[in-house]
Amino acid sequence: MVIKNITGPLVGLLLCSLGVAAPTPIPAYDFYVCANINRNYVIGSKIVTMNGVYRRDAAGAWQHFGYNDSGITAVAFDPRDHRVWYTSALNGLWRTLDGGKSWRMCNGWEMTEARDVAVDPNAPDHVYLALPDGVAVSTDRAQTLERRENGLPERGKYTQVIKVDRTQAGRVFAGCELGIYLTDDGAAHWRQVLPTKEMVTDIQQSPHDPQVWLAVTQNAGAWRSTDGGVTWINFPNVPTSRALYNVTFDVTQASRYAIGSWAHGVLTTEDGGVTWQDRNAGLPAPHRVWRVGVDPAGWLYASVFGETLYVSKDFGRTWRADALVGSVVNNFLILPRSVN
Amino acid sequence: MIARLFLIFSWALGGAVILLAQPAFVGPAPSRAILPTPELQRAAYLARIDEILAWRSSQAKPGELFPEMTMIATKLALHQDAELCSRSVIALMKTPASGPFWMFPTVNVAFLGRDQLSLEARQSIRKAWSREMQIRGDTENHWVMYYTSLYLMAELYPHEPGSSWYSGKSSEENLAEAKAYLIDWMNLATTVGQGEFNPTHYIGEYAIPMLYLATWAQDPAMRLRGKMTLDWLFADLAENTLNGVLHGANARTDDISVIERGKALASFFSWVLFGNVPPIAAYGGWGIYFATVAQNYELPEVIYRIAVDRPSDYLQRDLKRTRRRWRNSDVLMAPIYKTNYTRRDYAVGSYQGGLADPIQTHVWDVTWDVPDPRGVHNTMFSMHPVSSSYDLQTYFAELPDQMAKEVTKEGKASYDSPDKFLGGSRFEQVFQDLDTVIALYDIPVGTRFPHINGFLSKDLLQLTVDPSGWIFAQGGSCYLAYRPLAAYQLRPVARVKSSMTGERASLGDQQLFSPYLKNGTIVQAAAVSEFKDFAAFQAAIRALPLSFQLATKPTVTFQTLRGKVVTCTFGAAPIVNGQPFDYTPWKLFEGPYLNAEKGAGRLTITHGALERILDFKTLSITDRVKL
Repeated sequence: MVIKNITGPLVGLLLCSLGVAAPTPIPAYDFYVCANINRNYVIGSKIVTMNGVYRRDAAGAWQHFGYNDSGITAVAFDPRDHRVWYTSALNGLWRTLDGGKSWRMCNGWEMTEARDVAVDPNAPDHVYLALPDGVAVSTDRAQTLERRENGLPERGKYTQVIKVDRTQAGRVFAGCELGIYLTDDGAAHWRQVLPTKEMVTDIQQSPHDPQVWLAVTQNAGAWRSTDGGVTWINFPNVPTSRALYNVTFDVTQASRYAIGSWAHGVLTTEDGGVTWQDRNAGLPAPHRVWRVGVDPAGWLYASVFGETLYVSKDFGRTWRADALVGSVVNNFLILPRSVN
Repeated sequence: MIARLFLIFSWALGGAVILLAQPAFVGPAPSRAILPTPELQRAAYLARIDEILAWRSSQAKPGELFPEMTMIATKLALHQDAELCSRSVIALMKTPASGPFWMFPTVNVAFLGRDQLSLEARQSIRKAWSREMQIRGDTENHWVMYYTSLYLMAELYPHEPGSSWYSGKSSEENLAEAKAYLIDWMNLATTVGQGEFNPTHYIGEYAIPMLYLATWAQDPAMRLRGKMTLDWLFADLAENTLNGVLHGANARTDDISVIERGKALASFFSWVLFGNVPPIAAYGGWGIYFATVAQNYELPEVIYRIAVDRPSDYLQRDLKRTRRRWRNSDVLMAPIYKTNYTRRDYAVGSYQGGLADPIQTHVWDVTWDVPDPRGVHNTMFSMHPVSSSYDLQTYFAELPDQMAKEVTKEGKASYDSPDKFLGGSRFEQVFQDLDTVIALYDIPVGTRFPHINGFLSKDLLQLTVDPSGWIFAQGGSCYLAYRPLAAYQLRPVARVKSSMTGERASLGDQQLFSPYLKNGTIVQAAAVSEFKDFAAFQAAIRALPLSFQLATKPTVTFQTLRGKVVTCTFGAAPIVNGQPFDYTPWKLFEGPYLNAEKGAGRLTITHGALERILDFKTLSITDRVKL
């Protein structure tokens, strides 16, 4: 996909992710999903469809690359070299150094069922892994992994999401069972910045203003921080009765956010969270939205569980069916196109 | 969502199961005569293995490729049709599957075929292990299969680089990782307790890999570990079977085995090891993989004796553990305090309640002996049917909403059914004293399925709803008294015929449906031989002092048939004869047959004068005949 009229936030995102100080010619962006299409897979059976990482090509078609695994939850790239990338998956953490031709399972038996993976854009050898029983960190491109959980609760450290602050090396947020935890020192020490009783399901940093963060939870609604994640304020108009699965910024407009939820479908705001709209008209009922994402052009995507990927060019007012029939998308990712 | 269950037998056999002429399955129930010498026991064991291999081998269609791995493994075990085996392997390896259920059959064929398969066939297996990503799974049985398979393949192909393995790790790295896991798992199971304890099906997923390890590991220490673990598993099986039928409690069972107790893979193992119960159809599928290597295992006589020769009633108290809890819990794995009281005519088994496993737990039952368990629903129990995202999230790394529905598509069709009989509940608390079980329920308002289900079998005789509130019945040579503590209805219920599809069949069983959140069940069992007649049993039960209240916390005080006064209050420790019952001193095993201290890694297996000690700390087996 060729993106025209790249706006300021994307430039900021790009520059930070590449660690570049001055404006340079803006590359195009790639749009990725981690999709499970083999919904009837049972451990031991044949995987009959291609699952895992898909990239949207210039013609708008989704191209699979990497390995076939129905359990991939997230993908993260080394900003210096996009041939180096990582997937969190049922087995743990996988890494390729050659653009997906060959892979290594980076963890041993002590880690399993990874939920999320993140690369520190300011220290790209550092890889963070969200696990059902905590957090693991690598400082050598996942050649080795170690637990770094000082400050996480002994129980309650189930970690669904892990995000690195693009402005500061080693500043990382973990979305856990008992809240959001923050480290400023590469996970050597964690502190709780938002307590919750059940899961934090997603955390995202604004591409427009790195001080702005959003988070959604299983039973405590949606939250925003405007001070770099130190304090959090609840969105009073977002329901708390059922789980919210993920949240996304619109890279083209700073005041537009979208939330995906199995129970509530797609919720959007275009005024920075003051008002929220139900944007399910045109989606198949029931609106079991597994995840929402926004591509570099500002198109809103909704993965409806087991249905297909839906896309909206008007931020949820109308929808049309896209590709990946029968899929569940676990993650969306915008990435500056690499020269590698 | 990725499914986490075993694949049913039809998959294991490529959908090609034919029941023709499976002698032990279609023949009469085996004799219960005790074979007096190890030589006779061994000969009978080998004869049963021969039966399996002959049956499976006979199903090959002349001139056709073998469609799946049990047939190839059988042929290789019999040293037949090597050329056809090779071509079949090459064909199958063109489309390898992923995960431990593909890995362990492939390991079987790789090792049995080392000196029989063609080079091309062996290379096709090796290539599949290079290119096909293997999903490790998420349960202990998955991991035991996965890592045993990886361990053996890494030994079979040493000194090969990471680029030649799906994991990207060298042979030595794979070997080290697999060995570390297997040792850790063995240490955990033998010091803290087994997870997935006494499973009606999953015993195969443990026993078969351990047999492979005991047979093919090059490292003598790992071979010994495999052998010792097999002894450990089979001693536990022997302890918990009643003439070959595995009774409750079970960390994991299924809709069928929980009711028709003999229809379980565990019965295959009882049959092949002890010869005291018919095997299930097609030897359970997995049984064939066991049979292909089974001659390499020698069942210790002491275990055989425990299974078949019980001179008196016995009480075993064993310590197990739950599946790993990712969240919603103060502990990673909770202790399971398991009680097994077995008499000649029946067995009563239980643990203290709660979920050992999120879906397939079976907390307690009375199982009575029958001459032939095929088709017989020889059990009685009650339970709270749970369908809960909260509980599933406790054990699975998943988001909440889809799980309850998704698991019903993945081989657990009854999970979201209100009339199911499978599963444990956080809202059930159970206490057992010998052959008395008191189960209390305190179910919060708003809980999905706010009722309890009691199971009353079609095979109960003299079922009598007594004005006293007791329900009396006879199962085999066992009298049963079932006391619902809240109002109920008896409803016909159709048994689940297939855990995969949820298909049901009405066979005459009844569901005791009690729609009260605060609830309870008392069951008292006794031998028919203890009473002059059924009326005398009923009179004895009616005479037992009983008081209870359900309004706040369900509480019951009951004087058991054995003379103890037991008070149970939901959320509190049971009181027996005025003394609070303390689970904390429980040992890993304690009883006449199996004994082990917590943390010791040392199991003493005893029957009469025979004794075998399995010591995982010193990696030694010590046999002794006491004078």
